[in-house]
Formats: sequence, structure tokens, C-alpha cells
Amino acid sequence: MVTREFRERYRARTAFVILATTFALLFGVVVALLAMDQHRVLEASQRLQQDTIPQIIRFQRLARNLEQIRQEGERVFSATTPEGRQQSLFLIMLVASHPSILEHPQSAEAARDAERFLIETGNLASGDRSQISQRHAEWQNISKRLSLLVDDLSVQGASLATDDLNEMVAVMQLARAKLIGALILVGGFLLLLILLLNRHLIRPLQRIDQTLSSLSVDQPAPEFPDARMAEIHAVEQATRRLHDSLAANEAARRELELLANRDGLTGLINRRHFMVIADAELQHTQGQGRPAVIALGDLDYFKRLNDTYGHAAGDTVLQAFALLLEESFRQSDLVCRYGGEEFAFLFPDSTVEQARALADRFRQRVADHDIRLPDGLLIRVTLCIGLADASKSTIESALHDADFALYEAKRLGRNRVIVAAETA
Amino acid sequence: MGILRALFLGIYLIAGIVQASELSVAIGVQDPSQLAMSGNVIPPNMPGSELIAFNDDLAREICRRINARCTVSFVPFSAVLPGVEDRRFDLGFGNLLRTPEREKRVAFSAPIWRSSSRLLGTPAAAEAFATKLGHPVSVDTLRDARVAALEGSQQLAFLNAIASQRGLAVSSRTTAQEVIEALRNNSVDFGLLSVQSAYALLNRDTTRQIEFIGSAVADRGLGGTVHIALPLQNDTLRRSVDQAIAAIRGDGSFQRIARRHFPLGLD
Repeated sequence: MVTREFRERYRARTAFVILATTFALLFGVVVALLAMDQHRVLEASQRLQQDTIPQIIRFQRLARNLEQIRQEGERVFSATTPEGRQQSLFLIMLVASHPSILEHPQSAEAARDAERFLIETGNLASGDRSQISQRHAEWQNISKRLSLLVDDLSVQGASLATDDLNEMVAVMQLARAKLIGALILVGGFLLLLILLLNRHLIRPLQRIDQTLSSLSVDQPAPEFPDARMAEIHAVEQATRRLHDSLAANEAARRELELLANRDGLTGLINRRHFMVIADAELQHTQGQGRPAVIALGDLDYFKRLNDTYGHAAGDTVLQAFALLLEESFRQSDLVCRYGGEEFAFLFPDSTVEQARALADRFRQRVADHDIRLPDGLLIRVTLCIGLADASKSTIESALHDADFALYEAKRLGRNRVIVAAETA
Repeated sequence: MGILRALFLGIYLIAGIVQASELSVAIGVQDPSQLAMSGNVIPPNMPGSELIAFNDDLAREICRRINARCTVSFVPFSAVLPGVEDRRFDLGFGNLLRTPEREKRVAFSAPIWRSSSRLLGTPAAAEAFATKLGHPVSVDTLRDARVAALEGSQQLAFLNAIASQRGLAVSSRTTAQEVIEALRNNSVDFGLLSVQSAYALLNRDTTRQIEFIGSAVADRGLGGTVHIALPLQNDTLRRSVDQAIAAIRGDGSFQRIARRHFPLGLD
């Protein structure tokens, strides 16, 4: 006996709810991660807009103001009149006083140094014009320092944006990687879903469909692989039960057919069934131009046997006679209990002579056969057989002829075989 | 179609009339002689005219942006805040720094530029005090001197706060030009003014008797962002003015106005 290991089964709805929930959770996590990245990008862009860009603008203004101090300082040295020099100095003092410079210590110091040096130069130049050229070399150093500071501030301002933009790019690249991961996850999940659907629903349903399409009592009971889905398993079980039910119905039908076509005492086919199948067989044989013989047999003195030994003894004789019949004739020959102690025969593919020999051998065998009655007494019976050629006649006509020959056999003294043609 | 067109035109005109409000604008002057003038007639070569003209141009541009008809009045600096506080003026211009005390009295717009303060004086006074003190004069080292500032200004408040500690004799003047005059006639040793106001006055002074002394200062309430003063509890007007300032900055109008009157960026 094959034992199948018990496997846990899942209800389809539960399985799909679990799958859908898992998918929703995974997708939710990915969406949350992407939302976090989006939030970071938004934060970075807001920071860029609200803090960094104003800061860049401040750096630009600071650089512009320092550059203006430097340019006005150059004018102090290039001015041809004291008024022009004073005008530039005055502007330098104004720019050096701007809060954008004051709040940046390095710039404030550079501007203060430049302002102090240039005012000093202006004061000295008002008394001695040659001071301008003498102090120019030192001014070149201060001017260079201012230029470097302007460059530094410009680069510093640009770097602020670069940092923010780099962070945004990094976040966006991370988000893109997550998005690709999410797509792979969704694709993988869908693939898994399709595989699971195919394995646990579609293929089992196809198997059930094929099984139901060809479900027949002639086929063995359907076999299914162990299904993991409870609903599929239930349908498969129902299919098996359906096959069992069909087989049981077929067995019952055959039993009923047997009861309807057989004689209850002898087990031979009854007259009604004989007439149906003998007629069909006869037509088939005649259709192929082959010979056939119909015979009627009747036990001799059977009424006297019943009267002498009782009906039980008569039944025993009939049963024993039936056994002899089944043992003596060919598989293709058809025999039935025609009624009472009378029996009908169809010998297909047999000529009258062949049938006569067969019938005569049987008659002799019956005559030589001891039958033990219920009380232990051994008796012997004889029979008469009337044969009729059925190669070209209907079954009714052939039976009629055989009956006539049987009557003739009785009349001539019993325990003999008579062919209808012989009496015609 | 004609009726609909007329209807829309009527609605548009009514909306324009309703929207076009009347605003009164106060601009602090630099010189007492400017009090009786209007913006169009202030001679451009007058002391301090650049700052007044700049404020005047800015005020008119803002009024145009908020679709308001503005009437400009020139008042002493010290009258700007009380006028706005009393709702006699809707907008007050005058190099006004934003301080917590002032915020209790008036509302402030978004910043329009940045300002700092600096001592003014004659070179002789600077040298004399440097000798007396043993180091150059600046806001941080100033002591035992007569100092003047604009009435109602942050500079005056600062000087008053340190006066006893530093031994300062603090006095106030109605206009910046009066502070300059006080320096010229030796009524005071030093003046403490906003750099823009001082620049506007000294720019055209060919005598060069007065000059900046020491470094500029932007902390301790003496510098920072400059705003337009507005009446409290008029958020609608304040929002409109802020939007106008942002628009003026955004399209470069502010920079053009500033460059028209000053040789450098104010912000």
C-alpha cells in the first residue's frame, strides 16, 4: 500500500491574501524609501533656494565690493588731481563700511588695511606727489591680496552650490538605483506570482479539465499529484468520487442487464435476449454469405421426471444440463433456455452437417451423463434436437422449421437429432 | 457680445478704481531746507539729495507695483516713525533699521538694503583725541567727547546707552546736515551717522573738512538691514509691499534705481 506523506494545504484566498499583503508591504517599503529620497531632494533644493543661493549672492556682493575697493585703490594711484584721489578714497571708505564686508572678518581686515593704506597714501601725496610712485609697489601687494580674496570668495560661493548639487545628484542616483530595484522586485514578484498561479491553479485546472473530458468507466480511476491548494484538492477528490460513482453505476447497470437477459435457474440467456442477439448474429452471418443453423432441443419425458422425483429434481436436471451445454459447445455458439425444458441454439459459420454432428455428439454426451439428484439418486436423461438451416431464412422461420424437426424427433421415438430438411 | 464686452469693461474699471488706493509716503530728509520741497524739485546737487532721490524713486516704483497713488512728504528723520505709528503715513522711508523696540510701534517690510554706522569728524579732532587716548579713535575707543547723532536714530540710542560709561556728551540733531554743520562749527567733536547718509552729504563737500573716523560698525544695533516702515496690523499692505520689493529685485529695477544715485550696490 502506497502511503502519501501528509502535506499542509492552503486555501487559495488565504494564499493570495498573504501574497498580496507581502507585495503591498514590500512595495510600500520601496515607496517609503523613494519618498525619503524625494524628501531629501526637496530639502536640498529648498536649502539651495533659501540658504545657499542667498549665501552665494552674499559672496558675490562681497567679492564685488572688494573688487570695487581694489579698483578705486588703483584710481587713487592713477588720479591726476587731488580731487579725483579724494573722490576715490571717499568711495573706498563707503564701500569698506558696507555690512557685507564688516560681517566677513577676513574681508573686513583686508578692506580696513587697504582703506588705511590708501588714506595714508592720499595724505602723503597731498604734500609730496612722489609718494604715489614710492608706495605703488606696496599697493600692488595689497591689491594682489584683494584680488586673491575676490577669487577665493567667488570659488567659495560656487562651491556652496556644488556641494548642494552633488548631494542632490547622489540622492537622485540612489533613488534611481532604488527605483530599478523596485522594478526588479515588482517584476520578480509578478514572475513568482505567474509561476505559482501556473503551478498551483492553472495546471491543476487543466489536468482536471482533461480528466473530466475523458472521464469514463472504461478508464482507470484518475490520479492527481498532491495539490497544495485546498480548493484544487477538493475538486480533484470530487473528480475521483465522480469516477467511482460512474463505475458503481456501470456495475449496477451490468448486474441489472444480466438479471434481465439470463435465466435465473440455469444461468443461460433467456428467450427474449436470445431472439435479439441471435437475430443480429444471423443477419451478420447471412450478410457475409456464411452458413448458420438454428436448433431447438427438448428433454425427453421431463414431465414424468418431475412427477416422479419432484420439481427440485427437475430443477437439478435442468442446471446439470445447462452446465453440459456450456461445456460442450463452442464459444461462438449461442444457447438459451427457450422455455421449460426446451432450449434454442444458433450455430453460426456451421453447415447443417457440421451442426448435426455437433448436436449428435451432445445428445450422446447427455445420454451418457449421470445426474445426481438432491437425494443422491443418479439418473440419466435424453433429449431430442431439431435442426434447421438458417443460412437464408429469418430466425422465426428457422425456429419454426427446427420446432417441426423436433416434433418429428419426438414422434420417431426420442433421443435423436432430426434436420428439418429431412422431414420436408 | 456688445453687452457682455461692456459689462466686462465696467467690472474692470470698477475693480481698478477699488484697487487703486491712496497712500501717504514719508521720506526722511537730510537737510532742513528740504522739508518744504517735493521730490521733483529737490536740486540734484543739494547735500544728501542722492539718498532722498533714491528713496523717492523706490517709493514711487513700489506704489506703481501695488497699483496705489502715492503722495510723498519730506519730513525729518525723527518724524518718520511717529507718523507711520499714528497712521498719518502708510509708508516710511529713511534708512530705518529694524529693532525689537521699533517693531512694537510699526511693521517693517522685507529688507531693501543694508546699512552700517561710522564716526565722522575733522582730521584735527581725530588726531587730538588719538593723542589724548593713546590710540586711534573709533566707536569702540571713543570717550570723553562731545558726540552728536540724528534725533530718533539708533546711533543716538547707542550713544545715550554708553554715554555715562564713556563720559560722552551726547546731543541730537533733526537732520544729518545739522550734524555735519555741528562738526564744522566745532559744536561737537564727533558725529555718528549711517554711512549712506554721511556719504550722501559728504560726497559733494569739496572742502573735505569732515571725514570718516575709525572703522564702520554694523553690530550693537548700529547696522543691519534697512526696511520700509508700515502701520501695524496692515498685513495686506505689508504683503503687497513685500511682493513689490521681491518683483523690483527680481527684474533688476532695484539695482538700476540704486546705481542711478549711488556708485556702489547698496545690498
